[in-house]
Amino acid sequence: MTQKIGKVLVVGAGISGIRAALDLAEYGYGVTLIDRSPHIGGILSQLDYQFPTDRCGMCKMLPLVNRDASSQYCLRKGLFHENIEILLSTDLISVEGEPGHIQATLKQHPNWIDSERCIGCGDCVDICPVEVPDAFNESLSKHKAVYLPVPHAIPNPYVIDFAACTRCGACVAACPTGAILLPEEERKSFHILVVDDELILRDSLKEWLEEEGFSVAMAASGPEALDRLTEHPYHLMLLDIKMPGMDGVEVLQKAKETAPELKVIMMTAYATVETAVEAMKIGALDYLVKPFNPETLIPMILRIFQDVVVAKGRQIEVGALVLCGGTSFFDPRSGKNTFNYKTHPNVVTSLEFERMLSGTGPCRGRLSRPLDGKSVNKVAWIQCVGSRDLQTNADFCSNICCMFSIKEALIAKRASQHDLETTIFYMDMRTYGKTFQRYREQAETIHGVNFVRGRVHSVVPDMASGDLLIRSVDLSGNVEETRFDMVVLAVGQRPAEGASELAEMLGLELNPWGFGKTEPFSLTRTNLEGILLGGSFAGLKDISDSVTQASAAAMNASRVIHSKGGGLSLEHAEVHPATDVMREIPRILTVVCTCGKKLSQWADLQHIAKQLKSDPLIDRIEFLEQVCTAEGWEHLVGLVKTILPNRLLIASCLPYVYKRKLQELGKQVGMDPFLMEVVDIHTDFLRLLHPNSDDERQPVLIAGDSNKHPVLQQLISALETGIAKLKWVNPAAIATIPIVQRGLVVGGGIAGMTAALAIADHGFEVDLVELSDQLGGNLNWLKRTLEGHSTNELLEETRTSVEKHPKIHVHTQSRVIHSMGEVGNFHTTLEGPKNQAQTIDHGIAILACGGTEFRTSSYGYGTSSAIITQKELECKFSDNTIVPEKLNSVVMIQCVDSREEPRNYCSRVCCTNSIKHALYLKEKNPHIAIYILYRDIMSYGFSETYYTQARKADVVFIQYRIDDKPSVRVEKEKLEVAVFETIIGKRLQIEADLVVLATGIFPNLPQDVVQMFGASLDQDGFFQEAESKWRPVDSLKEGVFACGLAHSPRSLSETITTAEAAAQRALRILSREHLSTGKVVAKVRHSICSLCERCIDACPYGARTVDYDHEQIMVNPAMCQGCGSCTAACPNCASILEGFVKQQMLAVIDAAIGQGIS
Amino acid sequence: MGNTAGLQKEIGAISTFADLAPIRKMIRSCIQCGTCTASCPNEFAMDFTPRRLWRMVLMDQTEDIFESKTFVLCSSCYFCTLRCPRGLPLTEAMSALKQIATRKKLPKFKESVNFYSCFIESVRRHGRVNEAEFMTRYFARLKNPLIPLRFAPLGVRLMMKGKISMLPPIKQARPLESIFRSVEALEERK
Repeated sequence: MTQKIGKVLVVGAGISGIRAALDLAEYGYGVTLIDRSPHIGGILSQLDYQFPTDRCGMCKMLPLVNRDASSQYCLRKGLFHENIEILLSTDLISVEGEPGHIQATLKQHPNWIDSERCIGCGDCVDICPVEVPDAFNESLSKHKAVYLPVPHAIPNPYVIDFAACTRCGACVAACPTGAILLPEEERKSFHILVVDDELILRDSLKEWLEEEGFSVAMAASGPEALDRLTEHPYHLMLLDIKMPGMDGVEVLQKAKETAPELKVIMMTAYATVETAVEAMKIGALDYLVKPFNPETLIPMILRIFQDVVVAKGRQIEVGALVLCGGTSFFDPRSGKNTFNYKTHPNVVTSLEFERMLSGTGPCRGRLSRPLDGKSVNKVAWIQCVGSRDLQTNADFCSNICCMFSIKEALIAKRASQHDLETTIFYMDMRTYGKTFQRYREQAETIHGVNFVRGRVHSVVPDMASGDLLIRSVDLSGNVEETRFDMVVLAVGQRPAEGASELAEMLGLELNPWGFGKTEPFSLTRTNLEGILLGGSFAGLKDISDSVTQASAAAMNASRVIHSKGGGLSLEHAEVHPATDVMREIPRILTVVCTCGKKLSQWADLQHIAKQLKSDPLIDRIEFLEQVCTAEGWEHLVGLVKTILPNRLLIASCLPYVYKRKLQELGKQVGMDPFLMEVVDIHTDFLRLLHPNSDDERQPVLIAGDSNKHPVLQQLISALETGIAKLKWVNPAAIATIPIVQRGLVVGGGIAGMTAALAIADHGFEVDLVELSDQLGGNLNWLKRTLEGHSTNELLEETRTSVEKHPKIHVHTQSRVIHSMGEVGNFHTTLEGPKNQAQTIDHGIAILACGGTEFRTSSYGYGTSSAIITQKELECKFSDNTIVPEKLNSVVMIQCVDSREEPRNYCSRVCCTNSIKHALYLKEKNPHIAIYILYRDIMSYGFSETYYTQARKADVVFIQYRIDDKPSVRVEKEKLEVAVFETIIGKRLQIEADLVVLATGIFPNLPQDVVQMFGASLDQDGFFQEAESKWRPVDSLKEGVFACGLAHSPRSLSETITTAEAAAQRALRILSREHLSTGKVVAKVRHSICSLCERCIDACPYGARTVDYDHEQIMVNPAMCQGCGSCTAACPNCASILEGFVKQQMLAVIDAAIGQGIS
Repeated sequence: MGNTAGLQKEIGAISTFADLAPIRKMIRSCIQCGTCTASCPNEFAMDFTPRRLWRMVLMDQTEDIFESKTFVLCSSCYFCTLRCPRGLPLTEAMSALKQIATRKKLPKFKESVNFYSCFIESVRRHGRVNEAEFMTRYFARLKNPLIPLRFAPLGVRLMMKGKISMLPPIKQARPLESIFRSVEALEERK
């Protein structure tokens, strides 16, 4: 056991925060993961389905090696990892120090409910008189002022909404465990001074504030206020600006001299708002414009009260910071609200619609019109609401809306009982991800989603019917008005709430739209060393991009810590190693939680004890009132310490919650946590006891012989299932496998070099294999990026660092000819320049074989030297064989042989590449006519602004349809391009000096190499990820990763990000000398195995191999994830799953159906 | 040369003198999203949709533009300008096209140009439009006795409802003259 000293603070516990935290924790760092909200999961806690699978799958992010360090249940419910400390309702307040030694101050907002004592009974909710809009359901429903932030979290303590709570105290009285403590006293000791020359105003302010429980004093003038301040310390002053004699600004100045800590809010009339803003510059906290009502005043005061008094500050030292703050969304109400959002209930945002589809949502997944509850037959999605709109200062694309609208349309169709008509109004369908184009086409052709190209400006309600009218124009110019039952607005991204304040505090640079700005060629590094960006903080991303970026940020954070001399300090902590109980007879201590007096009210505890005691393996039975509280747990630990059993059964509720506690207990008393079991005897039984009663909490006395009551029998059965499980559990220690702490990277392009450097910088040896004679790959010809950065420096710098790195062994003119082995132990043979072979042992492999431009024969390519590809154009710019000044007209054709079968994917970079070339040509020669013939312009994210620039630079964009492609005719010296312009409705003839074809990216990933490593290719020849969203750079076979163009089409900075992510995933494995396997792994009983090999096909993780020498099936315990597929496939029961062996499971079933011991 | 070099166009009399460059500059970041068309209240009467018109401007299809009556049907309601996601001054661009048609005295737009100029002359003279005078002058200018006859039934209906006054306007010494002069001076300076 080791204690981790290297620490990282991850700010934001959304999906990218979780990914970054898990990656770092798996590597061995201690991670503090904080989130402002009271739950983890960020926006994904609200989303049930993700494209392209239309399912969840978040759990796939959980650790796959050393699994038992972490929780292994639904990640949307919660996360536990022994190296991660999660702090919710926590803000980052300040940061000081150097990279590697950062002092971060955190402030955790108190919850008036003690989560240690709260048993989640919900009595407080029933009694609470206040209702507020439920943020989790996007305000479509209401919850009480005391509520569960998300319904599915575990543990799930209740929290109180400070702003809404009236502090009536009803919940305090109702709470059976006394977990609620309202801060009455704290408020009384918060002193507020009200300074205004108007008596009426002073009086009403005093009244409002005292009603909230604060102590209030008044002053009628500036001098009087200053006198008061000297008499008594105040926390807050409400100060009028316009007063006779001394004005507010002067009072503020003087007050700040004597009491610099004093918080001041200026009160101003509309005319003097500017003065108030000035006052904020000299120290006022905020201002209020008169006249104001308590609804404006009180939340502001409460916020300050929270900040000043209640919230507790806490300092931690970390090596690096990963910001995963996410984004917010555009509010369609801001501005002109032409969509009638919130004025008509049938107009909802995409997020609201998602909640409506959810089973835990306000309509429990049943779709009906919010206005009148009528059935929904027609739904429209409107794209680009608050995106790609210069009028709302949104010269960007929000990346994900096209895809999630398609997903919502499909899910709505599925959720609807009848045939739902769905229409998506869009400008460009941005299906730029790996499988997105096919997904879109299936939505259209198989599922019948209508796609209408055209921007919708407004939604007009029809008052009589409650329908919504949308006027749109199709490409041929027909204007149509269509009726819909509901309209979903695909709202665009906006910077996360508080992003600008956070950036200001840190000194972090933001981009022109207020999102985090990263360094050139990086999506994670910022202007501040040691502060990295993950996920959507730097612009909205889909899950796979967020997760990739989070892993990359984790790697860069780790690199900073490493370079500053930090790292994992392997200090041995005070831990009792688990005692070997292999040869002992099970002695089970059973602790039954009576949940206060609930259990004893209806059941005879002595009867239960007597029943169980009949089993000789039961050592002791103890009844505790509340195991879930801190006191209860202490009591239990004491019992274990005195009785020293070798098995422990806890009967209480919510077994998931105990994971961390059991691990800690195990360390304290030297007992393997796998010898402890928790069974739930409360949740279901209360329902069984009261089948017809809504109120389950009323005690019911059982008539007659209570010991024969069926519910009691079932409860005893439940206890017996736990006993059965513990009886049969195998107490053998978990196996470990040795790891060769060396990496292999195949491909020496920028991705391969980046990955190799990342691993080597952490102190591990790396072999870098490159087929050609020099490193650099595509950067040898790609010279400029869209943003105008030159790649030369990047290439030179990277190449030099790689070549000079003592830990990197470069093998140029080499290729992989053979590889075998599994995670931790690969043996790969390389063939070098003179046919000499060399075998390398390594623990992980990263495939970075790259990609190249697709070779085409379309559009007359090859028949004229004036028809070239994008790559050739770039090269011709570099060697000056094209002179822009001599060109008159250039035609660029997009999607050549792409986005149609068989290469039905978007190459992601070609549109922006053409824009880059067009802008370059226009800059060199403004008189060139440039025509870009496109299908959908994929200028996703912030590259949209370059699309705008190109339009402004007079580049002519002409959209063509796939069924009417342009044609190129070669006539002697001239080229003639014909294209049908849909809007004008004419076939245009363009005489071109140059035709540039965007043929897209083709992967360079040899099938045999991929197969040697046990990975696979997707249908387009790219690397097949284990899971496109949650494990985007892993292969299903553990220990093999991919990055760069071999993985998927990417821009340069995205390529580097995938490489960093792959390196991080690899480092998790390389960081250890031994890899602990999970407890639940498959084994083979060789004596009865018939070598039919069915289990090998059944294993989805490639963990099984045949050892032909010994004629045995081998299982790699580190790769096995304990899914049990092999045991189901095995005809002889030769394949068994540890932790679920047959005897054990049958005993558990016997117990469950009442055939157990009693 | 220019943004559409190489593009085959029908070059006729209009193309040679009508310079669309300033208008193209106004609308060049158009992305053909169709918001203007879907917003236009007069679109039903137009031969080309506004989006198509802008596309033709961008493509230098001058002949076709001045074959179309789309821009004279623009009633300057400013819906499109207000709604354009690119914030383009579309109403202004429509006026610019009208101005070209007026300046070049294109026969196709004779009726519209006369209508506008008679209207504004009346306004200049009286400070408001005098319907009787305006109609008389407009019909006289068209030099076609059939046109007034076409409008007769409408005129009678309007008169019955008291919408058109046949009385001579109240004598006033050209109340808006100074404004018109200043505008003219500004135009000349352009």
